[in-house]
Amino acid sequence: MGLLREVLVAEMALLLATLAACIFFQLTTGRINTTSLFYGRYSDGTQYFSPERVQLLLATLVGAAYYFGLVLSQDSLTQLPPVPTQLLELLGGSHALYLGGKAFTTFTKSS
Amino acid sequence: MELLTLVAGWIVCAVVGGVGLALIWRIFDGSIDLTKLISEPNGDASMSRLQFLIFTFVIAISLFLIIVSQPHPAFPSNIPPTVLSLLGISASSYLVSKGIQFSNQAGIEQRAPQVTIYPANPTMQYGGTVQFTPKLVSLPGAKVKWSITAGAANGVTLSDTGLFTAPAAPNPFVTHHATVKAEIDGRPDIFDIAVVTIS
Repeated sequence: MGLLREVLVAEMALLLATLAACIFFQLTTGRINTTSLFYGRYSDGTQYFSPERVQLLLATLVGAAYYFGLVLSQDSLTQLPPVPTQLLELLGGSHALYLGGKAFTTFTKSS
Repeated sequence: MELLTLVAGWIVCAVVGGVGLALIWRIFDGSIDLTKLISEPNGDASMSRLQFLIFTFVIAISLFLIIVSQPHPAFPSNIPPTVLSLLGISASSYLVSKGIQFSNQAGIEQRAPQVTIYPANPTMQYGGTVQFTPKLVSLPGAKVKWSITAGAANGVTLSDTGLFTAPAAPNPFVTHHATVKAEIDGRPDIFDIAVVTIS
């Protein structure tokens, strides 16, 4: 039974790691389309550089790395640690800014 | 009974492993195409999809670590509400973003690359200047090359940034017009033309 458990754990770890590596590799090599990731569109289709997208990506990367660090720094890995409320507020604000900017430009024509 | 559990366990192990292997293999050989994993219908990459993907992976891997780190792997007895809030923010932001996007045709249609010069056909005085700007569609970060295709004998000048300068005084032997061209660097098929009238 112990061997079966170890094989299953190794199998799932390998599957998750390979899937994450595939996506990361394809994202960084451009095989997964990242065109216009930092560009928004006005209602007439014109594109513009969008700082709200850049800040959302930064907040996401910082938030995700911080939480993963919290998980790994626990004395015993028995429960998921709670997300600090400050981090939730930061992410909530970041998303609100992104959505607000997107809503505004979606219904506005470029000047 | 223990033998049956063991056999069932190995069968599950083989099925999960087989499905996982098939998935990974099909991603490698391109049968499962991930190129549009974070793309919108109009061809642009989507930030809301990317952040959703990142948070989903982080929580999934964290959960996996918690489960397998225990002596007897088990789902945690308690998922903190703040973790659910985090996933809620991520998922609802994605959904609201899609709602905004699908409320406008520009967010759905894939538009052909295009450059348009603004102002389109200006009239100006001798000695004056006009700053031309290119409006780009489906050409993020593209570089624009400015040139004068007609009327250069007037003594007009055009900078690399699109600043057009008319001559200080009229020349009776040449026309009072000049033609400005904005062309996408490396894409000579994509351009726009503006006619400047100098009076």
